[in-house]
Amino acid sequence: MNGIIFDVKEMAVHDGPGLRTTVFFKGCPLRCMWCHNPEGLSTAPQLMFKENKCRHCGLCYNACRHEECKPFGRCVHICPENCLEIVGRSIDAATLAKELKQSAGVLGDTFGGFTFSGGEPLFQPEFLLELIEKLRGFHLCIETSGFAKSEVFKEVIDKLDFIIMDLKIADGALHKKYTGQDNTLILNNLSYLKSTGKPHIIRTPLIPGITDTKENLSAIEKIIGESTWEKLPYNALAGAKYKMLGMHYKL
Amino acid sequence: MLYGSKLYNTIINKEHHKFRKKVDFDLAGEYSKKGLSPIERMADRFERVINEETPVILPDEKIVFMRTVSNLPAIFTDSEWEDIKSRHYIHELGFMSNLSPNYYDTIKTGLIEKRKSADEYGKRAIDNIIALSDRYLEEARRQGRDDIVEVLTRVPRYSARNFREALQFFRILHYALWLEGNYHNTVGRFDKYMYQYLKADMDAGVYTEETALELLEDFFLSFNKDSDIYVGVQQGDNGQSMMLGGMDEDGNEVFNLLSELCLKASHNNKLIDPKINLRVCKNTPAERYTEATKLTKAGLGFPQYSNDDVVIPALEALGYEHNDAVNYTVAACWEFIIPNVGADVANIAALSYPKAVDTAFHNNLIGSETYDEFFSAVKAQIAKETEKIHESIKDLWFIPSPFMNVLMDCDIYTGGKYNNFGIHGTGIATAADSLAAIKKYVYEEKSIDKAAYIKAVDENFENSPELLHKLRYESPKLGNNDDYVDGIATALLDAFADSLEGKINCRGGIYRAGTGSAMYYLWHANEIGASPDGRRDKEPFGTNFSVSLFANVKGPVSVIASMTKPHFSRAINGGPLTLEFHQSLFSDDDGVVKVGALVKNFIDRGGHQLQLNTVNLDVMKDAQIHPENHRQLVVRIWGWSAYFVELDKEYQDHVMARQAYSV
Repeated sequence: MNGIIFDVKEMAVHDGPGLRTTVFFKGCPLRCMWCHNPEGLSTAPQLMFKENKCRHCGLCYNACRHEECKPFGRCVHICPENCLEIVGRSIDAATLAKELKQSAGVLGDTFGGFTFSGGEPLFQPEFLLELIEKLRGFHLCIETSGFAKSEVFKEVIDKLDFIIMDLKIADGALHKKYTGQDNTLILNNLSYLKSTGKPHIIRTPLIPGITDTKENLSAIEKIIGESTWEKLPYNALAGAKYKMLGMHYKL
Repeated sequence: MLYGSKLYNTIINKEHHKFRKKVDFDLAGEYSKKGLSPIERMADRFERVINEETPVILPDEKIVFMRTVSNLPAIFTDSEWEDIKSRHYIHELGFMSNLSPNYYDTIKTGLIEKRKSADEYGKRAIDNIIALSDRYLEEARRQGRDDIVEVLTRVPRYSARNFREALQFFRILHYALWLEGNYHNTVGRFDKYMYQYLKADMDAGVYTEETALELLEDFFLSFNKDSDIYVGVQQGDNGQSMMLGGMDEDGNEVFNLLSELCLKASHNNKLIDPKINLRVCKNTPAERYTEATKLTKAGLGFPQYSNDDVVIPALEALGYEHNDAVNYTVAACWEFIIPNVGADVANIAALSYPKAVDTAFHNNLIGSETYDEFFSAVKAQIAKETEKIHESIKDLWFIPSPFMNVLMDCDIYTGGKYNNFGIHGTGIATAADSLAAIKKYVYEEKSIDKAAYIKAVDENFENSPELLHKLRYESPKLGNNDDYVDGIATALLDAFADSLEGKINCRGGIYRAGTGSAMYYLWHANEIGASPDGRRDKEPFGTNFSVSLFANVKGPVSVIASMTKPHFSRAINGGPLTLEFHQSLFSDDDGVVKVGALVKNFIDRGGHQLQLNTVNLDVMKDAQIHPENHRQLVVRIWGWSAYFVELDKEYQDHVMARQAYSV
């Protein structure tokens, strides 16, 4: 079946053990205000415009014959500076798996494995499961918010080798305020993850005044217990991509 | 650690320049009047200039000798030089450069012994060096520097007895080579010939690893005292290349405590000299790559890696004896040269692949029925270009350098053991991408009309934006592990090597095809207009063996896959793949291990040579505006590391335009 992804990154070094290739799934049920991958939020293809390279020639406003350009009213196949790009491509799991295996072949012994990231990979569970099936035998890792139905979470986690899961905010109400969703599912899934004994890391992005408060961090520490906990410094450039997508960064 | 010390700051703040002066004697006029021969002039200038040198010993400095006369007066009048040039082929400035002299043989015997076998000019040079050394000795006595007095009482007259004397001896020899007028004076396999001195001292308990490292840092600093005088095409291009690691004659890897300490000293000093190279092979342990990657992380553009498994057999296939091939080192940048006995001119000329494609595109595209026919035309063009280069290099003549000749195991002027010429190959990605587009759109899809294609290229795509976009951003590009275009790059390398096969150069050697570009990546790019890959007029090529600047590539893994496919065994003059990594990749130790693993992968896959740049575009942008805040920002250019702010803008811009891989 087809899924929608927005990037495949070679040699991702912060996405699990070894030299890895990471697939970014498009679409996420959360709306974290600080999200630094805004192109991963919606499942629909989006037009990304790199304005800083634009020379205002206006060529992209001329009518074109490309189907994919129609929804945006701009042609993405004419810019001399390549400022316009449609992010999000629909791809069949088998084709994607084949493409991914190519980089694994190159790296041979030094290849660490594949990581599914996003967006939220659990937001496209059937596609993800099919992809996992096609990549069986490789070391597989997920970067997830943990926001998914328990049965989906369990089914996927059981098939993976390494889990990187976020716990952003311990308090349910605050979680809803800043991410758009309550964290009950996340907490339940986290306790399942811990019970499996599977290698995992819990990550908390440190957002000034939101997640990096003393209360939040000490509450998270309690929940996490023995698990490895990584606190990620706030990415000051997180807002950069919003403008390119015609979106608004709330922080 | 030397870094941040008073001595260190004196050098990086250029405070020692206050001891410098310029000499203004008109030697050329005098020599011309006297009718002196070139070698007499060289011997005389050396004597006159060295006599003007002032011994300077800085507080805490252990390894002494620095240039205080910052210029060398010409030895020929303009008209004499014009006359020489009209009768001979003159390479660059006229010297035989890019040699790897036998420092060790002199360090272990002393100049007095060496003098016995030298010719009269060599003897004169040696006497002058000893005289200056004696003046340094007096200065050391005057300052009460007993340690230096002890060292200079022994060397350079007699053999070095310990590590410090050996380092000081090397410094004197290297200094003298520069003062004679030679340039791109490489260091060679330093850890191989110097280790015995360190080992003996370590065994005798003279040093701990820490104190040995401190001395080595002082020695490394000495390469930076005069280097601003040694300008190549750009500041930093000075050829002080040091080789570490690599196999010995029996195939065992040499990597000892000195190799390790050299990596550390370079890391600690954070200076662009000496330029660190590392020979590796399939058996090189993963941890060594991690250690070496710490240098990469430091942002020095070191080390540059060469792969013994590829280079040694390839040199042997070109006719180098086994014992010489295993002893290879690199010239100023990356050209493979043989220490002591090799007199190769490894950078004599360059072939522009895109120009060959451009000529065939204009002359043969319309008439070629098939891609194969068109590619034959490109091959013929490459053959024509290399023939032209071959024909142009006759009666090659070098300015004699008596002291360099003392340090070589062969008479370099009559011919070394090897007298081969190396030719660079520029713009391989631009050419391969152009050919891939032609093959696909003209001959397979037939979607682009030949005449219209030529017209669009000639108009710099001004009237065909859609075609430009398609060619630049939506066409097969070298670097994506795509056999379609990678195979074309291989065919180009083969065509280059084929075209040189059987040619005998004017010194009786052969020609070696290479994958390097040197500065031709900018120069050659201006010889043609736009190219069929969508490259616009005036846009530069990638450096050396790299992907095109605007190619959409999937990432470093695919680039490595593409660039390890071609037959380097046939194009082994040297020229690395260059990868730029964003600083953020190294935000934790894990990043260092992983980049090290990627390098190992490149080597294991049979890549021949690799250099890595750690970059940060924002920092470089700021350095262009506020150079004073970034004096020590280092970038790798085409085969050497430089201080970013000392480069001309076109070289700065090129580094900034390269593909940087982040996380």
